[in-house]
Amino acid sequence: MKNVLGNRKAIALFVVPALVIYSIIVMLPVLWSLYYSFYNGSPGLKWEFCGLDNYARLLKDKNFRNALSVNGRYILITVIGQVGLGLVLSLMFRFWLHRCKTLVRTLVFFPVVLPTVAVGQLFAKIYEIQPNYGLLNSFLDSIGLSRFVQPWIGQSSTALWCLCVMDIWVAMGFYSVIFYGALLDIPDDIIEAARIDGAGSFSLFGRILLPLLRPMIITSLVFSFSGTVKMFESARALTNGGPGSATKSLSMYMYDVSFTYNKVGYGSVIALVIFLICVLGSIVINLFDVKD
Amino acid sequence: MKKAGAFIRGLIIFLVCMLEVYPLFWMLTASFKQQYEWSEKPAYALNSGFYWQNYSDAWTRGHMSTYFRNSLITTLISLVFIVIFSSLVGFAVTKMQWKLREAVAKYFQFGIMIPVAVALIPLFQIYSRGRLLNTRTCLILTYIAFGLSLSIYLVQGYLRSFPDELMEAAVIDGCGIYRLMYYVVVPLMKNAIVTVLVLQFFFKWNDLIFSMTFISDSALKTVQTGLLYFSDEFGAKNWGAIFASVSMSVFPMLIIYLILNRKVMEGMTAGAVKG
Amino acid sequence: MKKRTMAILLSAVMAASMACAVSASDFTGDDPQLEKKVKILTIWAEDNDNGILLNKICQDYKDNVNPNFDWEYEMVSADDLRQKIATLAASNDLPDIFAYESGAPLLDLIETDKIVDISEFLAETGTEEYMNPGAAELMKGLSGTEDLYDLPLGLNVEGFWYNKALFEQAGVEAPATWDEFEDVLAKLQEAGIQPLTTGGSDKWGATRLINAYAVRANGNDIMTKAANGEVAYTDPGLVAAADKLAEWAAKGYFGEGITTVDMNTAGSMLMSGKAAIFYNGSWFTQNLNDESANLAGPDGIGFFNIPVVDESISTGTSYSMNCGNILAVDKGKYDEGTKWFLKYFMENMGNLAMDTLGSVKGYTYTTAVEDMSGYTQMVLDEIDKATEGFAWWEAKMVNEISTTAQENVQPLLNGEMTGEEYMQSIQDVYDLQ
Repeated sequence: MKNVLGNRKAIALFVVPALVIYSIIVMLPVLWSLYYSFYNGSPGLKWEFCGLDNYARLLKDKNFRNALSVNGRYILITVIGQVGLGLVLSLMFRFWLHRCKTLVRTLVFFPVVLPTVAVGQLFAKIYEIQPNYGLLNSFLDSIGLSRFVQPWIGQSSTALWCLCVMDIWVAMGFYSVIFYGALLDIPDDIIEAARIDGAGSFSLFGRILLPLLRPMIITSLVFSFSGTVKMFESARALTNGGPGSATKSLSMYMYDVSFTYNKVGYGSVIALVIFLICVLGSIVINLFDVKD
Repeated sequence: MKKAGAFIRGLIIFLVCMLEVYPLFWMLTASFKQQYEWSEKPAYALNSGFYWQNYSDAWTRGHMSTYFRNSLITTLISLVFIVIFSSLVGFAVTKMQWKLREAVAKYFQFGIMIPVAVALIPLFQIYSRGRLLNTRTCLILTYIAFGLSLSIYLVQGYLRSFPDELMEAAVIDGCGIYRLMYYVVVPLMKNAIVTVLVLQFFFKWNDLIFSMTFISDSALKTVQTGLLYFSDEFGAKNWGAIFASVSMSVFPMLIIYLILNRKVMEGMTAGAVKG
Repeated sequence: MKKRTMAILLSAVMAASMACAVSASDFTGDDPQLEKKVKILTIWAEDNDNGILLNKICQDYKDNVNPNFDWEYEMVSADDLRQKIATLAASNDLPDIFAYESGAPLLDLIETDKIVDISEFLAETGTEEYMNPGAAELMKGLSGTEDLYDLPLGLNVEGFWYNKALFEQAGVEAPATWDEFEDVLAKLQEAGIQPLTTGGSDKWGATRLINAYAVRANGNDIMTKAANGEVAYTDPGLVAAADKLAEWAAKGYFGEGITTVDMNTAGSMLMSGKAAIFYNGSWFTQNLNDESANLAGPDGIGFFNIPVVDESISTGTSYSMNCGNILAVDKGKYDEGTKWFLKYFMENMGNLAMDTLGSVKGYTYTTAVEDMSGYTQMVLDEIDKATEGFAWWEAKMVNEISTTAQENVQPLLNGEMTGEEYMQSIQDVYDLQ
């Protein structure tokens, strides 16, 4: 057994090609960015060594701090929403649903398939206030809550929430399907036994289901976290970072700095910060992944 | 009493489903709308007629037929490689025994975290020096490389729960590592492979940023870049045609998804719970 | 001895340079039909506006003059143009001819010596006469250079478009002075009509309104002065202009949630009678001429220039003018073949644009078009009236400032920022530069 699984030639054959492609195309550019971060300007256009200036600039940059805070709040709300609601939905499907299981699972998965541009446009129409009330405002208006009619994505106080709701909507079906599959794998007799022992719904969930689901929850958290740290397409599609810079994420700011302001060096510093956040975040999440 | 409860539960689930499905329906109606309907009528209004012009605009002006072919070629080729590489690497770092396997696994996992935009300018320069810009090769290479991390991670999760006994039995029967892979491991990994396939298909099919940056030759552009053709200098957008193209680009995804649906669901959940 | 060598050397150099000059400057004869393939990168679809013109002129040149010529036409969306050009410039891979933004973005390329001096090209090929002098002045002014570095693809005036039926309903007429304008707005609102609309989500539509008042109250060159540091962005005159926009928004002139409305929607609102006045440029005629989009009909929309605050500061015949997105020519790929093609381009663009689109693109033309639409004629008349031009709000701002100026106009419209805070935020970024 050991001989077979320890076959060095085979390991090399399995791993090396992928390793080479991955190193050149994914990892090398990251290092390259590190080198860029010591330069000012754009390669090809005013390109000069500037030492640690870019890093010093980062500390003073108000826009960066704003983007960091926007991104942080977005990650917090969206990760909790996506994974939490996914879990709730999956429990509903597991215990309430008796017919059409496959159909329901198929349907809730749909939004993941849609191009982000299309989703953004759809939600812009839902939140619309001018020239016509969108879905949300006309609903509020028709049930007599017209004082709550407002420009949802047009004001700083609600725009980020609206964006989070959209991204939660897109992904919650995806996570519910993951959790639902996991719940199905938990044998009925374990649940029955707990019920007979007098466990209520909450203690059933807390004592039996949650521990069993933990690996799946951690995987989902990693998924969701890495997706939300990159926050870019959806914000660009729905609000384009606005109003003002109320929904401008780190990636969007980095994109602006590199390509609009032609400061690729400084953009690289921001990119490295995003990268660092990713690494830190996954370390934190993996702390929960204690192996019993 | 019990019946009423069941009814309410059913209703909630029904509402959830509606919530998730409505946009597809909306998109379809939107693709038949004429320009004036966008400002004249509320967004949720049904299309007042079937304005097929949008589809023919999309097909002819947007050259959707060319883009479909390009998208299919680049996506399918990169998918084949992603599947091969991720199952091989995934197996090597989970089941095989060697010193660096943990480190290599972590190294690949790192990639999940890397923001695409970081790599854009360096990659452009690498391809430019390698004379690979404006070729399908550079797009395929990028897709493969950026698809590996997540796929390997998925395969790993699946393989952790893979029964060692099966492999032992095969090895006792005299299987070498290659035959073991081919006859025992791969067939049993079918679900995981399908999952990787489908997820990566969605990601690659939806890619915009890479194809936009690396491909400038009209004959090589992909579907998503094609969607950009409907926006002009001062921000005027032909929404009807945009949604017609979007509908056309979503359609193949839905079909693939519906065919493979059950396998994906199983693949995505299998293993991790027991692991 | 030494002297003689010098002399010989000198004369040799002179002879060489003369030979050079002769061969390079001879653009009088027939086209030498050089083998040439140009790559053109633009933001216009092949069947839209300038896209039609560019492809047509390439085709014409190939058919009528140089069969060895070929071209490759590529389009990116306007949003991605800067990113695309930045990446291409970084790897010295700019296309032969490409669309770009005039003003500060172009200046970057001029300073880094990436693009061709168009004035030199015009002199060398003897095609100066085909360039509309107004357009040339405008573009030189925008980049702040003595020489011209870009080719225009439009000559636009901007101003207020209004819905005639709504004006009639409220019993008002197109205003000439700013006081009249304020009066019109108030009366429209009293009549239950939304007086104004703009593309708050596209942002530039809203900053144009600040510019309108800023220029009329402080002079045509106020933004140039601010960019040069002669006047602070926090100058009371400019703060008043920003406050003006905030005040209108607070009064509800724009309706609710104006920051979510894009230029296209705003235009439809004007044409369908949901709003009475909309600020936009002469390119808006394209929408007005589209019968399926323009519900107001062929005579339902009127135009007035930005009303005058004080005739002695900024006159009623000075217009906000621009050349739209311009074309620049890459220096690295510039050769004899490009020059011959561009010579043909210069000689024929004016007439081609007038014949196919009925519009002025910044080149002289000799053809006359008979059945021109009322809107197109209206714009041509306005351009004829113009005696002076001024640029838009962000024209002189470098990218970072202009992004701030655009982004923060949304909180300004929402009342989350005052005019003073808005101008201060611009000044802050300016100070960092």
